[in-house]
Amino acid sequence: MADREVDQQLVERVQRGDKHAFDLLVSKYQRRLGRLISRFVRDPGEAEDVTQDAFIKAYRALPGFRGESAFYTWLYRIGINTAKNHLLANKRRPPTSTPFDAEESESFEDAGLLQEVSTPENELMSKQVVDVVQQSLQQLPEDLRSALTLREIEGLSYEEIASVMNFPVGTVRSRIFRAREAIAENLRPLLETSKGNRW
Amino acid sequence: MKNNISALMDGELFEDEAEALFDGLKRDSEAHRDWAAYHLIGDVLRQPEYIHRDISGRVRELMRNEPTVLAPRTRGISQKVRNIGLSAAASLMALGVVMWMSVQITPETTPQLAMQQTNLRPASLQTQSKSNDYLMAHQEFSPSNDMNGDASYIRTVSYSPEEKTQ
Repeated sequence: MADREVDQQLVERVQRGDKHAFDLLVSKYQRRLGRLISRFVRDPGEAEDVTQDAFIKAYRALPGFRGESAFYTWLYRIGINTAKNHLLANKRRPPTSTPFDAEESESFEDAGLLQEVSTPENELMSKQVVDVVQQSLQQLPEDLRSALTLREIEGLSYEEIASVMNFPVGTVRSRIFRAREAIAENLRPLLETSKGNRW
Repeated sequence: MKNNISALMDGELFEDEAEALFDGLKRDSEAHRDWAAYHLIGDVLRQPEYIHRDISGRVRELMRNEPTVLAPRTRGISQKVRNIGLSAAASLMALGVVMWMSVQITPETTPQLAMQQTNLRPASLQTQSKSNDYLMAHQEFSPSNDMNGDASYIRTVSYSPEEKTQ
């Protein structure tokens, strides 16, 4: 079952009245949507508020979502519109005058125009999380590290990873899980001690 | 369950397994935290330069005031594809049945039966005579007969050498 189908399954659960399924979608897409919105709304606090509003708007609009486009494309479109409306309401111009395509938003890069602004506190916390993840990755055995990197960064399927690493698919599945779990084990103390489970 | 969360994130679970897992995630808050942690790890590996605060708790709080969404069930892409596949399979099966039935009543079978009949030797003359009368009387209803409806107007002449010798 492809990623898009997983999202569709969650969307259908929300449409049947399951709010928890929407919670899973928020956990999955909050950083990607937040990153997109921060390209429009530079203040990190405001960007968080707009991201939150975008999720609530998406939840309200979900009865009308028929799955003709991927959920994330639809969500990104809502995010972009919410960010633009926020800027207009505050009499500020959006950072780009050309129509912005949600499909291209992931690859859109303009460091000068859309520089991300962060508070020292956010930067410190962010750095800690990134450090723990990257250090944990480096400490993993070579085969676990390679399997996880091929999956998360290169986006290869289990079958492709099995072919590259010359392992059975079942072994690839188990190594990727063990790699994730080893990193999560190191990350949990930081997540639990952070005020309000901030990460 | 953690193993399945990892596989689901990578699109490597079947639909029914995913449904069961979503039910499990709803009941088990620890499993929900694992789901969030695994996604955080993926985001950090892909975009280490942008990791913001977790807003899921705030969204969850706001969601409490939102009325529950209820919508007519939509059909996903996989379901559409499956329906099209099933329709095509049903059509092919129906076509196959029609073709098989038409082959069963083709005219080519008639000469073969005629040839077989010439090789058969009757068990007794009396029986054959009776069955001949019966078959002749009902020949027009035979599905392998090319002359539907005309058979009753055909006069049949038979010759039996054994009867002649007696």
